Amino acid sequence: MGVEPEKITVRIDEDLAEIVPGYLVNRGKDLEQLPLALVEGNFQTLRTLGHRMKGSGAGYGFDGISEIGRAIEEAAKREDREGVEQGIADLASYMDRLEVVYE
Amino acid sequence: MAIPDHVLVVDDDPDIRTLVGKLLEKNGFRVSKVPDGKGLRLLLEKSQPDLIVLDLMLPDEDGLVLCRNLRSRSNIPVIILSARGEDMDRIIGLEMGADDYLGKPFHPRELLARVKSVLRRARTLPDDVQEQDTNATYRFAGWVLDVPTRQLYSPKSKKIFLSGGEFALLRVFLNHPNRVLSRDQLLDFSHGREIEPFDRTIDMQISRLRRRLGDDPKKPSLIKTVRSSGYVLAVRVERGGESHGTDDPGSGD
Repeated sequence: MGVEPEKITVRIDEDLAEIVPGYLVNRGKDLEQLPLALVEGNFQTLRTLGHRMKGSGAGYGFDGISEIGRAIEEAAKREDREGVEQGIADLASYMDRLEVVYE
Repeated sequence: MAIPDHVLVVDDDPDIRTLVGKLLEKNGFRVSKVPDGKGLRLLLEKSQPDLIVLDLMLPDEDGLVLCRNLRSRSNIPVIILSARGEDMDRIIGLEMGADDYLGKPFHPRELLARVKSVLRRARTLPDDVQEQDTNATYRFAGWVLDVPTRQLYSPKSKKIFLSGGEFALLRVFLNHPNRVLSRDQLLDFSHGREIEPFDRTIDMQISRLRRRLGDDPKKPSLIKTVRSSGYVLAVRVERGGESHGTDDPGSGD
Protein backbone atom coordinates (compact mmCIF):
# COMPACT_ATOMS: atom_id res chain seq x y z
CA MET A 1 0.00 0.00 0.00
CA GLY A 2 1.50 3.38 -1.05
CA VAL A 3 1.99 6.26 1.34
CA GLU A 4 -0.12 9.32 0.60
CA PRO A 5 2.26 12.15 -0.39
CA GLU A 6 2.43 15.02 2.06
CA LYS A 7 0.19 17.92 1.03
CA ILE A 8 1.56 21.38 0.43
CA THR A 9 -1.00 23.80 1.82
CA VAL A 10 -0.81 27.34 0.47
CA ARG A 11 -2.95 30.07 2.00
CA ILE A 12 -3.92 32.74 -0.48
CA ASP A 13 -5.72 36.05 -0.21
CA GLU A 14 -9.31 35.49 -1.25
CA ASP A 15 -9.06 38.54 -3.49
CA LEU A 16 -7.11 36.29 -5.85
CA ALA A 17 -9.63 33.43 -5.76
CA GLU A 18 -10.98 34.37 -9.19
CA ILE A 19 -7.63 34.18 -10.98
CA VAL A 20 -5.69 31.48 -9.13
CA PRO A 21 -7.46 28.49 -10.79
CA GLY A 22 -6.53 29.85 -14.23
CA TYR A 23 -2.96 30.30 -13.08
CA LEU A 24 -2.76 26.70 -11.95
CA VAL A 25 -4.29 25.48 -15.23
CA ASN A 26 -1.46 27.31 -17.01
CA ARG A 27 1.11 25.50 -14.85
CA GLY A 28 -0.56 22.26 -15.92
CA LYS A 29 0.04 23.37 -19.52
CA ASP A 30 3.67 24.06 -18.62
CA LEU A 31 3.91 20.46 -17.46
CA GLU A 32 2.92 19.39 -20.98
CA GLN A 33 5.14 21.90 -22.77
CA LEU A 34 8.31 21.52 -20.70
CA PRO A 35 9.00 17.85 -21.51
CA LEU A 36 8.30 18.50 -25.21
CA ALA A 37 10.78 21.37 -25.26
CA LEU A 38 13.31 19.17 -23.46
CA VAL A 39 12.93 16.39 -26.05
CA GLU A 40 13.44 18.96 -28.81
CA GLY A 41 16.45 20.39 -26.98
CA ASN A 42 14.72 23.77 -27.11
CA PHE A 43 16.49 25.38 -24.18
CA GLN A 44 15.27 28.86 -25.09
CA THR A 45 11.65 27.79 -24.55
CA LEU A 46 12.64 26.01 -21.34
CA ARG A 47 14.36 29.15 -20.17
CA THR A 48 11.37 31.34 -21.00
CA LEU A 49 8.92 29.02 -19.24
CA GLY A 50 11.18 28.84 -16.17
CA HIS A 51 11.65 32.60 -16.22
CA ARG A 52 7.90 33.19 -16.30
CA MET A 53 7.22 30.74 -13.49
CA LYS A 54 9.92 32.42 -11.42
CA GLY A 55 8.44 35.85 -12.06
CA SER A 56 4.80 35.03 -11.43
CA GLY A 57 4.65 32.25 -8.81
CA ALA A 58 5.23 34.18 -5.62
CA GLY A 59 3.01 37.02 -6.81
CA TYR A 60 0.10 34.59 -6.80
CA GLY A 61 1.24 33.21 -3.44
CA PHE A 62 3.10 30.15 -4.74
CA ASP A 63 6.67 30.72 -3.63
CA GLY A 64 7.45 27.09 -4.52
CA ILE A 65 6.60 27.71 -8.17
CA SER A 66 8.96 30.70 -8.25
CA GLU A 67 11.73 28.55 -6.79
CA ILE A 68 11.14 25.71 -9.25
CA GLY A 69 10.96 28.20 -12.12
CA ARG A 70 14.26 29.70 -11.07
CA ALA A 71 15.86 26.25 -11.03
CA ILE A 72 14.49 25.40 -14.49
CA GLU A 73 15.62 28.74 -15.91
CA GLU A 74 19.13 28.32 -14.49
CA ALA A 75 19.40 24.71 -15.71
CA ALA A 76 18.18 25.74 -19.18
CA LYS A 77 20.78 28.52 -19.29
CA ARG A 78 23.46 25.89 -18.66
CA GLU A 79 21.74 23.50 -21.12
CA ASP A 80 21.70 21.07 -18.23
CA ARG A 81 19.15 18.39 -19.24
CA GLU A 82 19.20 16.62 -15.89
CA GLY A 83 18.64 19.88 -14.06
CA VAL A 84 15.64 20.65 -16.25
CA GLU A 85 14.28 17.12 -15.76
CA GLN A 86 14.59 17.56 -12.00
CA GLY A 87 12.75 20.90 -12.23
CA ILE A 88 9.91 19.30 -14.22
CA ALA A 89 9.66 16.48 -11.68
CA ASP A 90 9.61 19.03 -8.85
CA LEU A 91 6.84 20.99 -10.55
CA ALA A 92 4.78 17.84 -11.14
CA SER A 93 5.19 16.85 -7.51
CA TYR A 94 4.34 20.35 -6.28
CA MET A 95 1.18 20.53 -8.39
CA ASP A 96 0.16 17.06 -7.31
CA ARG A 97 0.51 17.85 -3.63
CA LEU A 98 -0.83 21.41 -3.74
CA GLU A 99 -3.83 22.35 -1.64
CA VAL A 100 -5.03 25.95 -1.86
CA VAL A 101 -6.88 27.60 1.01
CA TYR A 102 -8.40 31.04 0.44
CA GLU A 103 -8.64 33.29 3.45
CA MET B 1 -17.00 60.91 -8.82
CA ALA B 2 -13.24 61.00 -9.45
CA ILE B 3 -11.91 59.65 -12.72
CA PRO B 4 -9.86 56.53 -11.97
CA ASP B 5 -6.16 56.62 -12.75
CA HIS B 6 -5.31 54.73 -15.90
CA VAL B 7 -2.43 52.26 -15.62
CA LEU B 8 -0.93 50.50 -18.63
CA VAL B 9 0.65 47.10 -17.95
CA VAL B 10 3.21 45.96 -20.52
CA ASP B 11 4.27 42.35 -19.94
CA ASP B 12 4.59 39.35 -22.24
CA ASP B 13 3.47 36.94 -19.51
CA PRO B 14 -0.34 36.69 -19.51
CA ASP B 15 -0.31 35.48 -15.89
CA ILE B 16 1.46 38.66 -14.81
CA ARG B 17 -0.91 40.84 -16.84
CA THR B 18 -3.87 39.09 -15.21
CA LEU B 19 -2.44 39.40 -11.70
CA VAL B 20 -1.42 43.05 -11.97
CA GLY B 21 -4.64 43.95 -13.78
CA LYS B 22 -6.79 42.29 -11.14
CA LEU B 23 -4.85 43.89 -8.31
CA LEU B 24 -5.10 47.39 -9.73
CA GLU B 25 -8.74 47.13 -10.82
CA LYS B 26 -9.66 45.87 -7.37
CA ASN B 27 -8.07 49.02 -6.00
CA GLY B 28 -9.92 51.45 -8.21
CA PHE B 29 -7.59 51.83 -11.18
CA ARG B 30 -8.52 51.58 -14.83
CA VAL B 31 -6.16 49.12 -16.44
CA SER B 32 -5.02 48.44 -20.01
CA LYS B 33 -2.81 45.45 -20.73
CA VAL B 34 -0.54 44.82 -23.71
CA PRO B 35 2.02 42.05 -24.31
CA ASP B 36 4.78 43.92 -26.13
CA GLY B 37 6.32 47.14 -27.38
CA LYS B 38 4.06 47.25 -30.42
CA GLY B 39 1.01 47.12 -28.16
CA LEU B 40 2.46 49.90 -26.05
CA ARG B 41 2.94 52.16 -29.08
CA LEU B 42 -0.57 51.47 -30.39
CA LEU B 43 -2.11 52.25 -27.05
CA LEU B 44 -0.14 55.47 -26.66
CA GLU B 45 -1.50 56.63 -30.02
CA LYS B 46 -5.01 56.37 -28.61
CA SER B 47 -4.65 57.41 -25.01
CA GLN B 48 -2.30 58.73 -22.38
CA PRO B 49 -2.12 56.52 -19.30
CA ASP B 50 -1.27 58.01 -15.92
CA LEU B 51 1.40 55.39 -15.28
CA ILE B 52 3.08 52.49 -17.08
CA VAL B 53 4.17 49.22 -15.46
CA LEU B 54 6.82 47.93 -17.82
CA ASP B 55 8.51 44.52 -18.09
CA LEU B 56 12.06 44.54 -19.44
CA MET B 57 12.13 41.24 -21.30
CA LEU B 58 9.60 41.72 -24.06
CA PRO B 59 9.43 39.57 -27.19
CA ASP B 60 9.85 42.37 -29.70
CA GLU B 61 11.83 45.09 -27.95
CA ASP B 62 14.11 45.64 -25.00
CA GLY B 63 12.12 47.25 -22.21
CA LEU B 64 15.07 49.48 -21.31
CA VAL B 65 15.13 50.95 -24.82
CA LEU B 66 11.37 51.40 -24.68
CA CYS B 67 11.73 53.14 -21.34
CA ARG B 68 14.37 55.50 -22.70
CA ASN B 69 12.30 56.29 -25.81
CA LEU B 70 9.24 56.82 -23.71
CA ARG B 71 11.10 59.17 -21.40
CA SER B 72 12.48 61.20 -24.29
CA ARG B 73 9.00 62.19 -25.38
CA SER B 74 6.73 61.87 -22.38
CA ASN B 75 6.46 62.49 -18.66
CA ILE B 76 4.31 59.43 -17.95
CA PRO B 77 5.70 57.79 -14.81
CA VAL B 78 7.19 54.33 -15.40
CA ILE B 79 7.65 51.48 -12.95
CA ILE B 80 9.85 48.70 -14.24
CA LEU B 81 8.68 45.27 -13.13
CA SER B 82 11.26 42.71 -14.09
CA ALA B 83 12.73 39.36 -13.18
CA ARG B 84 16.09 40.83 -14.15
CA GLY B 85 16.57 41.85 -10.55
CA GLU B 86 20.31 42.45 -10.32
CA ASP B 87 21.49 45.74 -8.84
CA MET B 88 22.95 46.79 -12.19
CA ASP B 89 19.60 46.22 -13.90
CA ARG B 90 17.91 48.39 -11.31
CA ILE B 91 20.49 51.11 -11.76
CA ILE B 92 20.28 51.03 -15.55
CA GLY B 93 16.48 51.02 -15.37
CA LEU B 94 16.48 54.12 -13.19
CA GLU B 95 19.15 55.72 -15.37
CA MET B 96 16.95 55.13 -18.40
CA GLY B 97 14.31 57.27 -16.78
CA ALA B 98 12.14 54.84 -14.83
CA ASP B 99 10.57 56.31 -11.71
CA ASP B 100 10.82 53.06 -9.76
CA TYR B 101 11.91 49.45 -10.17
CA LEU B 102 10.45 46.31 -8.63
CA GLY B 103 11.97 42.89 -9.11
CA LYS B 104 9.98 39.73 -9.85
CA PRO B 105 8.80 37.78 -8.05
CA PHE B 106 7.00 40.57 -6.25
CA HIS B 107 4.40 40.92 -3.56
CA PRO B 108 1.23 42.36 -5.13
CA ARG B 109 0.73 44.78 -2.24
CA GLU B 110 4.24 46.12 -2.68
CA LEU B 111 3.51 46.83 -6.32
CA LEU B 112 0.25 48.54 -5.36
CA ALA B 113 2.07 50.68 -2.79
CA ARG B 114 4.69 51.68 -5.35
CA VAL B 115 2.08 52.53 -7.99
CA LYS B 116 0.34 54.83 -5.52
CA SER B 117 3.62 56.31 -4.36
CA VAL B 118 4.90 57.06 -7.86
CA LEU B 119 1.59 58.62 -8.89
CA ARG B 120 1.57 60.74 -5.75
CA ARG B 121 5.17 61.77 -6.31
CA ALA B 122 4.52 62.68 -9.92
CA ARG B 123 1.64 64.90 -8.95
CA THR B 124 2.57 66.45 -5.68
CA LEU B 125 5.06 68.95 -4.52
CA PRO B 126 5.30 70.37 -1.04
CA ASP B 127 2.54 72.88 -0.41
CA ASP B 128 4.90 75.83 -0.17
CA VAL B 129 6.40 75.07 -3.59
CA GLN B 130 3.08 74.37 -5.27
CA GLU B 131 1.44 77.50 -3.97
CA GLN B 132 4.36 79.71 -4.81
CA ASP B 133 5.15 78.74 -8.35
CA THR B 134 2.21 77.04 -10.02
CA ASN B 135 2.20 79.60 -12.82
CA ALA B 136 5.88 80.44 -12.76
CA THR B 137 8.46 80.47 -15.50
CA TYR B 138 12.03 80.07 -14.33
CA ARG B 139 15.06 81.30 -16.27
CA PHE B 140 18.56 80.14 -15.40
CA ALA B 141 21.80 79.99 -17.38
CA GLY B 142 19.86 80.42 -20.62
CA TRP B 143 17.43 77.62 -19.74
CA VAL B 144 13.70 78.12 -19.25
CA LEU B 145 11.38 75.93 -17.17
CA ASP B 146 7.71 76.64 -17.70
CA VAL B 147 5.95 75.15 -14.68
CA PRO B 148 2.33 75.10 -15.96
CA THR B 149 3.30 73.09 -19.04
CA ARG B 150 6.21 71.27 -17.32
CA GLN B 151 8.35 72.12 -20.33
CA LEU B 152 12.06 72.70 -20.16
CA TYR B 153 13.72 74.66 -22.99
CA SER B 154 17.45 74.63 -23.63
CA PRO B 155 19.42 77.83 -24.37
CA LYS B 156 18.90 76.96 -28.05
CA SER B 157 15.13 76.78 -27.42
CA LYS B 158 15.08 73.03 -27.83
CA LYS B 159 12.33 71.32 -25.89
CA ILE B 160 13.76 68.88 -23.33
CA PHE B 161 11.46 66.29 -21.78
CA LEU B 162 11.73 65.60 -18.06
CA SER B 163 10.37 62.69 -16.06
CA GLY B 164 7.99 63.50 -13.22
CA GLY B 165 10.80 62.98 -10.71
CA GLU B 166 13.28 65.12 -12.65
CA PHE B 167 10.73 67.91 -13.01
CA ALA B 168 10.00 67.84 -9.28
CA LEU B 169 13.70 67.89 -8.44
CA LEU B 170 14.52 70.75 -10.80
CA ARG B 171 11.60 72.71 -9.44
CA VAL B 172 12.92 72.28 -5.89
CA PHE B 173 16.38 73.48 -6.94
CA LEU B 174 14.88 76.47 -8.72
CA ASN B 175 12.95 77.33 -5.57
CA HIS B 176 16.14 77.13 -3.50
CA PRO B 177 18.93 78.39 -5.76
CA ASN B 178 22.41 78.66 -4.31
CA ARG B 179 21.37 76.83 -1.19
CA VAL B 180 22.95 73.51 -0.30
CA LEU B 181 20.22 70.89 -0.06
CA SER B 182 20.88 67.56 1.62
CA ARG B 183 19.68 64.30 0.06
CA ASP B 184 17.06 64.08 2.80
CA GLN B 185 15.82 67.58 2.02
CA LEU B 186 15.69 66.81 -1.68
CA LEU B 187 13.74 63.63 -0.96
CA ASP B 188 11.39 65.48 1.34
CA PHE B 189 10.82 68.38 -1.01
CA SER B 190 10.55 66.45 -4.24
CA HIS B 191 8.86 63.26 -3.05
CA GLY B 192 6.44 64.60 -0.49
CA ARG B 193 8.20 63.16 2.58
CA GLU B 194 7.89 59.53 1.61
CA ILE B 195 10.28 56.84 2.67
CA GLU B 196 12.25 56.04 -0.44
CA PRO B 197 12.81 52.30 -0.94
CA PHE B 198 15.95 52.81 -2.97
CA ASP B 199 18.25 55.25 -1.26
CA ARG B 200 20.40 56.06 -4.29
CA THR B 201 17.39 57.40 -6.18
CA ILE B 202 18.25 61.04 -5.52
CA ASP B 203 21.81 60.58 -6.74
CA MET B 204 20.55 58.88 -9.89
CA GLN B 205 17.96 61.54 -10.52
CA ILE B 206 20.60 64.23 -10.03
CA SER B 207 22.77 62.41 -12.53
CA ARG B 208 19.91 62.22 -15.05
CA LEU B 209 18.96 65.84 -14.48
CA ARG B 210 22.54 66.92 -15.07
CA ARG B 211 22.50 65.05 -18.37
CA ARG B 212 19.25 66.72 -19.38
CA LEU B 213 20.88 70.06 -18.62
CA GLY B 214 24.03 69.15 -20.51
CA ASP B 215 26.00 69.48 -17.28
CA ASP B 216 29.30 67.57 -17.23
CA PRO B 217 28.91 65.02 -14.39
CA LYS B 218 32.66 65.12 -13.70
CA LYS B 219 32.76 68.90 -13.45
CA PRO B 220 29.18 70.12 -13.15
CA SER B 221 28.60 73.84 -13.44
CA LEU B 222 24.88 73.97 -12.67
CA ILE B 223 24.10 71.33 -10.05
CA LYS B 224 27.21 71.00 -7.91
CA THR B 225 27.99 68.31 -5.41
CA VAL B 226 28.89 69.61 -1.96
CA ARG B 227 30.87 66.86 -0.30
CA SER B 228 29.18 65.32 2.76
CA SER B 229 26.36 67.83 2.46
CA GLY B 230 24.32 67.39 -0.70
CA TYR B 231 23.79 69.41 -3.83
CA VAL B 232 23.42 73.03 -4.81
CA LEU B 233 22.04 74.71 -7.91
CA ALA B 234 24.87 77.20 -8.41
CA VAL B 235 23.29 79.65 -10.78
CA ARG B 236 21.28 82.83 -10.84
CA VAL B 237 17.58 82.09 -11.18
CA GLU B 238 14.88 84.45 -12.33
CA ARG B 239 11.28 83.71 -11.72
CA GLY B 240 8.98 85.75 -13.89
CA GLY B 241 10.57 89.23 -13.82
CA GLU B 242 12.13 88.93 -10.41
CA SER B 243 15.61 87.82 -9.49
CA HIS B 244 15.59 84.75 -7.30
CA GLY B 245 19.15 84.07 -6.24
CA THR B 246 22.74 85.17 -6.34
CA ASP B 247 25.64 84.21 -8.53
CA ASP B 248 27.95 82.83 -5.91
CA PRO B 249 26.78 79.83 -3.94
CA GLY B 250 29.92 79.88 -1.82
CA SER B 251 30.37 76.18 -2.14
CA GLY B 252 32.91 73.88 -3.65
CA ASP B 253 32.45 70.84 -5.81
